Amino acid sequence: MIIDVNAWLGGWPFRSLRDNTPEALVARMDRSGIDVAAVSPIEAIFHRNVQPANERLAEAVTPFRGRLIPIATLNPTYTRWEDDLKACHEKLGMKGVRLFPAYQGFEVDGPVARRAAEACRERGLAIFIPHRMEDPRQRHWMDPGKVVDPAQIASLVAAVPGLTVIVPNLRGVARSALWKRPEVRDQPWYVDLSLGEVHRDLGTFVEQGGASHLVFGTHLPLSYAGPALVKRAILPVDADTLEDISHRHAAKILGL
Amino acid sequence: MDIEAGLRRPKIDVHAHVSGAEVSCDALLASGDPVGVREFWCSRPITGGRIAPHEEVRRQNDEILRAMALRPGRIRGMCFVIPGHYREALAEVERCLDAGMIGIKLYNQYKISDPAVGPVLALARERRVPVLEHAGYLTGTEHLSQQPLISHGADFAAASERHPDTVLIHAHISGGGDWEWTVRAVRDASPNVYIDTSGSNLDDGQVEFAAAELGAGRVLFGSDGTMSGSVGKVLDAALTDEEKEMIFWGNAERILAAQGKKPLHPRSQPERSQP
Repeated sequence: MIIDVNAWLGGWPFRSLRDNTPEALVARMDRSGIDVAAVSPIEAIFHRNVQPANERLAEAVTPFRGRLIPIATLNPTYTRWEDDLKACHEKLGMKGVRLFPAYQGFEVDGPVARRAAEACRERGLAIFIPHRMEDPRQRHWMDPGKVVDPAQIASLVAAVPGLTVIVPNLRGVARSALWKRPEVRDQPWYVDLSLGEVHRDLGTFVEQGGASHLVFGTHLPLSYAGPALVKRAILPVDADTLEDISHRHAAKILGL
Repeated sequence: MDIEAGLRRPKIDVHAHVSGAEVSCDALLASGDPVGVREFWCSRPITGGRIAPHEEVRRQNDEILRAMALRPGRIRGMCFVIPGHYREALAEVERCLDAGMIGIKLYNQYKISDPAVGPVLALARERRVPVLEHAGYLTGTEHLSQQPLISHGADFAAASERHPDTVLIHAHISGGGDWEWTVRAVRDASPNVYIDTSGSNLDDGQVEFAAAELGAGRVLFGSDGTMSGSVGKVLDAALTDEEKEMIFWGNAERILAAQGKKPLHPRSQPERSQP
């Protein structure tokens, strides 16, 4: 079984996407052998008031219950965001929260992120902070094209112990502060297989004991699924650990 | 998508880097073995746009010659030169090709369309070897300012107008920059302009886009260090099996044939355990 923690619906403003409707994404998952995907609406990244997009997401995935797991987008700089979090969790059945500091204008290791993180921890919801959405070297002039500093995420993890954090689209985890800072190392944070290379990064990470921090993620439909599937096939781990990476860690994170 | 079958499919990586140290060669082979790479076309360029002394360029190529000697069944060489020192550059290309290298590597010291590069492109045509140049269409000034002379698709198209019979390889479709822009710009270039699949950007659709614009016969498999990512995006591309075969093997084989060479091992030979 494979659970993809890093998938999306909707349009990216700067490039055409395919397979970005619920029907098409599920068909792509079927072709790729992916059973379940955690999805959020891309457009919410750019919205001030994100809640209408969350409501549409909940409706859109309803026919695909069990295949598409809705993840809320939270804008912790916006008034009454606590109400959005409550509604997403209690009414809309969201299984986690995505934050976009580079687009929403706050520091990951600052008070805004910390308040949101504490609220999510209280509810037992994981937060997802993508390292990047797109390669900044091709950024459109309207895109800030910034990446999130893993050292700042490590500081957030240290400040809110017990918080579950997923950092999709990260390269270089073995060299990152998440892995290097001793007080953070054993906290429940995860990186996915979408961007890191096995021979440069993920293999070393596994050798150093980091497999418990790995989850399967593709960044579909912005990225190909193939790279993550290749990495899953060649990661130097035993069969039981591969099951953890492929779905058990994700199932725990998403409460499935 | 049958990943296991895709990994077993033999591949020629036309864009790889290595040093002359045994540990570097072994690391390269270890990255390619699990994903079916049979041979690597390797270079050791001087990066950052630096105009280095000829002696330093020569040392870089000596490292590649050492790597070829250490792993003759897996590693082939691409001779790096800085075209502006054209007499030295031409002599160095001749030295390296005579020593067994099969191509030329250029970085971002000059745009490929710069007349200063012309003598090198002419020699490449004469020796029937490909020229692989670092490339990308960077959109942000913060990135472009670090390598102002990086070549993009329009530069390749311009170079190919003057050197239509030289095989030019636009490095990494997604090594950073707007890949749609740079691929479109190559659209009307000579059919001898190719693009390789390497690059850390794994945007969905890029391989199909290149195949649609240029034809699958002009897309080459390359990794530039992003090994599983580059294999994965070709395997996942919505192309026919025959088109993927061309990308992974057939197109590189054709480029070798033009200089009277063959792949280091037959396509049908079982992989791994080759020196």
